[in-house]
Parts: sequence; structure tokens; C-alpha cells
Amino acid sequence: MRNSQTQSPVSSISERLSGADPRSSITQLFESMRPDLLRFAHWLARDRSLAEDIVQESLLRAWRSRDTLKDRGAARAWLLTIVRREHARLYERKRLELVSLDEALEGQTAAKAPEPDADLFTLRNAIMRLPIEYREPLVLQILGGFSTEEIAGELALSSTAVLTRLFRARNKLRAICGMTPAPDVSPSEAAP
Amino acid sequence: MSCEQARLQIGADPTGSAAGLEEHLRGCTQCQQFREEMRTLDANIRRALEQPPGWVGTPRRTTTWRPWALAASVLLAMLAVLSVWLLRPSDTLAREIVAHVQQEPDSWLAQQHVDAQGINEALRGAGVSLDITSDRITYAQSCWFRDHYVPHLVVQTAQGPVTVMILRNQRVSGRRSFHEAGMNGVIVPAPQGSIAVLARGSADVGGTATQMQQDVHWLAGAR
Repeated sequence: MRNSQTQSPVSSISERLSGADPRSSITQLFESMRPDLLRFAHWLARDRSLAEDIVQESLLRAWRSRDTLKDRGAARAWLLTIVRREHARLYERKRLELVSLDEALEGQTAAKAPEPDADLFTLRNAIMRLPIEYREPLVLQILGGFSTEEIAGELALSSTAVLTRLFRARNKLRAICGMTPAPDVSPSEAAP
Repeated sequence: MSCEQARLQIGADPTGSAAGLEEHLRGCTQCQQFREEMRTLDANIRRALEQPPGWVGTPRRTTTWRPWALAASVLLAMLAVLSVWLLRPSDTLAREIVAHVQQEPDSWLAQQHVDAQGINEALRGAGVSLDITSDRITYAQSCWFRDHYVPHLVVQTAQGPVTVMILRNQRVSGRRSFHEAGMNGVIVPAPQGSIAVLARGSADVGGTATQMQQDVHWLAGAR
């Protein structure tokens, strides 16, 4: 794990859950969201170990900035945002190449379904192979519960661009699942 | 609203029901059908997102049942000690490998080969490289196994799919075959650990294991 610190409030989280320390409740709140954060990070990073690093680092950042979280009801969205930014930072730091698999998805059809969950398996892999520009807004919307406007703000895109990306993401998955894809929409993806 | 605009809105959010969209749908059966299909697809996407590929088990979760968890932990620890006492290490390892593969039944269903990036991501955590053409590998994940990330691959052979797990931190004293839960397998020693190969049916796991001993390269300096 990167940045594991022996005195970190997150890595020693279980020891801090008891008692009346007001910090423990926020820690407990953060920790309760770890599974969701990990799932979200996994879909972004496409790697479990990377996702765990991202979540650990994000929880540390969240802990350091906990005073800025005024509304605990907004904690989930706040933490997801931190995870998303930490994922982006990771790629900037490591200069990892984002490989577009868009071309590879074209023309793919659903695999035969020898078992009931085969379609789901195909769909999971298809989502994993979506280019990040399509995968990220889709995951933000479905797993994160973000609105189009919130995604637009998060990704620094226009709402129209977000709508287009979400449409294209689903349209690609639609094709992979054996349904006839809808005609593509006019390109209008311009950052504001 | 045109059909193109309606489909853009539906595709972007199949659960949406803006007034303009609803008005269009009342007079357009094709767009109605498109929305129904997209809503079905969206439900499946939601199910798919709940569990990323290779996601085995759930991460650590804090609960309010700490006393029960503690008691269960003590019980599990006692069972673990008893298991270690009753089972030889390699038997235990074989059973855990079989159990792991049973947790990922989809792995043998994959039909499309994994690209080089996917394979490298699976191998990276274990510090190994592989001399094998990627078009034979249809599944590649880095899986949490015995406190380490290990590559979990499915290699296509003439007799069908064969699972390969590269276990850097699991040393064995010699080649050991096993038969468990309808699977045939073999664990072979390797320079930095061991390699487990298993399959259902008549696949040549021994031959594949020998081949993998030659094809896997253990990188210096890796943990």
C-alpha cells in the first residue's frame, strides 16, 4: 500500500471506533463507505490492488480534510469525488497510459450464454473495456448517483457532453449485448 | 423533440422522464420500445457494476456486531488450527485453490482472449512475466489469495480451459496432484514459489504445469 502510516487514522481505524472521541464517528462513517469506494475505484482503475491503494489514500485525504465536510449526509458523494480525483492523480503521477479500447469494442456481439450469468459476465467485461471517458461518467451516474449536472461539474464538461458520453457508453454496451445500437448522436462534446 | 433527441436523453438516463420526452414517447412507439430496452439494459448494468470482474469476497466492513465477530473469529481461529493439524499443507493449499476457482465460475466461460495490457495487469502484482501468446489466455485477474495478489489465468488448451495460478509465496516440496470437487489439478514447485494448474475433465494439467514452469519468469526484486 502506498503511504501507509503507522499513526494514520484510517489504517488504525478499528482501534478508534470505541469511546466518545468525536473523531471516531466520522471515522466510522468513512469506514462504512469503504466497500462502495473500493467498488467505485475498481471500476475506474480496473485493478483491485490499485483500487485499494486509491481508496486508502483517499480516506487519508478525507480524514485530513474532514473539517470541510459540513453535511454528513453528503459524505458519500464527497468521498467518491475524492476517490475520483485520487484516481486521476495516480495516473498523472505514474504517467500511466490510458489505452482506448473503443475500437476493440466495435462489432462485438454477445457471447453465447452457457449459463444464466454469462450475459452479466460479458457485460462486466464490456464495461471494463469501455474507454475511461465513457466508463467514468457511467460509473459516476449509476454507482455514485451523480446527476448529469454534477458529473459535468466533476469532469469539467458541458452537460450536453456528459449526455452524449452516457448515451454512447450505453449504446456500446447495447451493441455488445446483441441489441441493435441506436444511430450515434451528433458530436457535441465540447468542454465549456 | 426529435427521435434523435429523445434517444439521446433515454440513452443518457433511461430512468428519466422529462415532460418533453414523455410527450414525444406518447406518439412514438419506436422510441417507447427503445426506452424499454434501455431500462432493461440499465438494470443489468447496475447489477454488473455491483461486482467488478475478479471481485472475490467483500472488503473489510465495520459492523456493530463486534462481540459476535470476536466470538466468530475465535471459533474460526480454532477451526483453522484444527485444519492445519489435520491437513497437510499441500492438501490445504489445493483445497484453497479449488475453493478460489469455485468462487469465480465465470472464469472458465470467457471466450475472448485478454489483451496484453490485461495480462500485464494480472501479472504485475506478483512480479512475474510470461512467455505465452496472449491469444490463448481468456481470463487474467490479480486475485487476493493467502495474503498476496496472485495471477489467476485461464489458458485455452486443446482439451479445454485450464486454470493457472502463479503462487509466488507458496512453496511446495515437490509436484503434487490432487482431485477435488470434480477438478483435477497439480501443484508444482517453482523458483520463487509454486504454480497450480487445474481443470475440469480430461485436460492435461500435468503437461500444462510443466509448460508453465518454463514459461513463467520470476522477476528479481519482487516480493
